[in-house]
Amino acid sequence: MEVILKMKPNQLVNAFLVFFIIHTTQVGVGLQGFQRIIYRDAQQDAWISVLISGVATSLLVFIIIKTLELYGSTDLYGIQHDVFGILIGKVLNCFYIFYSLLSFFVVLRNYIEVIQAWIFPELPLWFLSMSMLILVTYGINSGVRSIIGISFFSVILSLWLLLFISYPIKFARIDHLLPMFEADLISLLKGAYNMTFTVLGFEILYIIYPYLKEKKKVMKFAQLGILFTTFIYTALMIVAITYFNGVQLEKTVWATLSLFKIVRLPFIERFEYVAITFWMLIILPNLIFYMWSACRGMERVFKVSIKRSVWLFSLIVIISVQLIITRTQVNHLNDLFAKCAFFVVACYPFILFSFAWLKKKVFNKGIGT
Amino acid sequence: MFRKREIKKLLQEKPFVESQETNTSSDIPLDSVEFLKIIQQKLHYSADFKTIKISNLTIIYIDTQVNIKELNQNIIGHLKNVQVYTEKNVITEIAVSEIQKSYSMKNGMLSILKGSVGIHIDQTSTLLLINIPTDNNRSLSKPENESQVVGPQIGFNESLATNISLIRRYITTTDLHNERFVIGSRTNTEVSLLYIDGLASQAMVTRFKEKIKSIDVDGLLDSAVLNQLISDNALSIFPQMLLTERPDRICDGLLNGKLAILVEGSTMAILCPLSFIEFFESREDYNVRWPIASFIRLLRIIAMLLSVFFTALYVAALSFHYEVIPQALLVPLGESRSRVPFPPLFEALLLEFIIELLREAGARLPTKVGQTMGIVGGIVIGTAAVQAGFTSNILIIIVALSALASFTTPSYTMGSLIRIIRFPLLFLAGFWGFYGIMFGFCIILIHLLRLTTLESPYLAPFYPPRFADWLDSIVRLPIKFTFRRPQLARPQNRNKYNPDKVK
Repeated sequence: MEVILKMKPNQLVNAFLVFFIIHTTQVGVGLQGFQRIIYRDAQQDAWISVLISGVATSLLVFIIIKTLELYGSTDLYGIQHDVFGILIGKVLNCFYIFYSLLSFFVVLRNYIEVIQAWIFPELPLWFLSMSMLILVTYGINSGVRSIIGISFFSVILSLWLLLFISYPIKFARIDHLLPMFEADLISLLKGAYNMTFTVLGFEILYIIYPYLKEKKKVMKFAQLGILFTTFIYTALMIVAITYFNGVQLEKTVWATLSLFKIVRLPFIERFEYVAITFWMLIILPNLIFYMWSACRGMERVFKVSIKRSVWLFSLIVIISVQLIITRTQVNHLNDLFAKCAFFVVACYPFILFSFAWLKKKVFNKGIGT
Repeated sequence: MFRKREIKKLLQEKPFVESQETNTSSDIPLDSVEFLKIIQQKLHYSADFKTIKISNLTIIYIDTQVNIKELNQNIIGHLKNVQVYTEKNVITEIAVSEIQKSYSMKNGMLSILKGSVGIHIDQTSTLLLINIPTDNNRSLSKPENESQVVGPQIGFNESLATNISLIRRYITTTDLHNERFVIGSRTNTEVSLLYIDGLASQAMVTRFKEKIKSIDVDGLLDSAVLNQLISDNALSIFPQMLLTERPDRICDGLLNGKLAILVEGSTMAILCPLSFIEFFESREDYNVRWPIASFIRLLRIIAMLLSVFFTALYVAALSFHYEVIPQALLVPLGESRSRVPFPPLFEALLLEFIIELLREAGARLPTKVGQTMGIVGGIVIGTAAVQAGFTSNILIIIVALSALASFTTPSYTMGSLIRIIRFPLLFLAGFWGFYGIMFGFCIILIHLLRLTTLESPYLAPFYPPRFADWLDSIVRLPIKFTFRRPQLARPQNRNKYNPDKVK
């Protein structure tokens, strides 16, 4: 496997699009109801937990980009192959492909869960997953540039949804936030840990990095993306804490969606119907990026073309989606995934970085040796 | 291929310039009797083929194709004065500017078919071709399909020469390139590629020429067909090149570094590359003040969205999500739908179908009957349908509104696309509500992202984001700020003018 990737100029995209890539991969199903799980631990100081998780993601992005900068133009599959050798590298690469696929599955299952709970209880699982997979396959087949285009439009076209979050502020009670700084550090950190599932997604940098034009600017725009996401999360957290009272919030599974419920316009009521269906556009880049990084792994490791592996993975997803049916199963899956993802996203970058750094700087070994 | 190349060479021949062929390669017989025999055989003794013999000259022409008056006055009239006929004095005597010498039978025949008079001098192997085609063109008229309030009121007609002269009237520069191609093995249609040297990207011109040369069809009757033959994604429903009958629109494109293609016998010129948003722009936007232009452009975009999604939203809301309709609105809706026996999807499809029927009938009918159509359609069918309990009043308003909105698009092809694309969305809405509409929206979005126009991104300047070009896209800012040419056509020179000198 070639470690250093040389891209054709017509495959490259501007570095500032990283902002949109990072933002769209982070924002997704987690946003619909992250408030409850944070609030359970950190109570009214939950917004501090959100900020802590923001700082942590920013640090992680820093480490990820530093690891990639050691090589110049490569992706995770190349680095693992180079650092750990052919055999262990291959195992780790397979593991990452599986992780991407699992993320895809979790995002898809959660979105289906929301659709079934709020809008169409009678629509079957296979139909919903199939329709999303059609979009994903179509998106992946149109190439990396178009995929990034989808994430760009996903941000631009869904910004207006944010405006409606200001609607509940009218009914907000600021004293819900008081007393401030009551939670101890452990519960704050616990809350931040619970944010894992919500802030996930920036690991796409590992795969998308070779496709970016000006590598020096990547850090700046990636951090801006993280900043924007953290801002939205914090704002939503504060709105939720001030709008709901404590007992209510602990019982509200999808707090963000419930906030949309009270939006009332002269020609439309029950705005959450619009918001949830529109959420498809927010979910889509998530799904496409995860599926694409899995397929990209297949291409890099096993030299299977992306178009083929999309079909293969779609089939696997359609079958496995039938296995998880009830709400408790979905919750269980989410918890399991969050644990697994916490290791992949929050611990592994440090390990990988130290190995890569040791290999390059201390042992002074060239790439591919 | 070989034949096409030959024709191309012929068309590039300039008057009085000896072509590369030498006398030795000539296939024209020396003897005039034999020459005439071969010609008549090739034309299958056509009824309108005429010959005149003056001493050792044989004058041949097709009388439906040449200007008889000019033939009599400037050719035959002058030739009668001469006693000795050599090639040289024939050329000096004839008072017509466009004279060509041909050594090839095939080229000579083609030229005669297009309106030339051939003169064969006995015992020479050359054929003199004097071009005097009949002037049977329609006079210039208003561009009926793309009317504007403010701006020139002239449209292309069916003559290639007239159309090019219209463009040259606007753009008087030596840099305007005009390259000829011939397409169609049976029609031999002349096609002109126009671009401004120093503005248009050379890579694009080369790419385009390759595309045109690779076309191999037997007939080309209109530029609309050529448009489909050369567009990047032939299977897509979206138009990727503009068809327009306005010379000023073409000139505007040329000045922005785009390429224009004109086809003989076609009233529409092709402009490319053209991004999605440019189909919603009109030349008039530059003729009115910028706030008005911006308002109109926004109006068109909203009209487009309304036209595509409004009926679908109605169907989705009434079939699945009646909760989203406010109570105050639910009462009149319920009242108006109470007598309708059909589900919303069927009701909407029926009405959309009627509207399409009226539109198609209106387009086919003569103008005088067309007005009756409006009355029959709008008043009789509309009112009757409601009174008979076929549809609800509110749906009639919605459907009529979206039909109206689809006509605000300046490009006819884009307008028809908007009307067609509604139907799949209607079905999606009727079966899966808002989820279906959103699914359709995502498919359209991905499809638009896939498309290219002459291998440039179709959704430019939005994606890839070129923020400088946003100033002249869904809005139009004052001329002072829009001094840059859009990057879509990759113009060689980015600046139109110095912004400091423009107020």
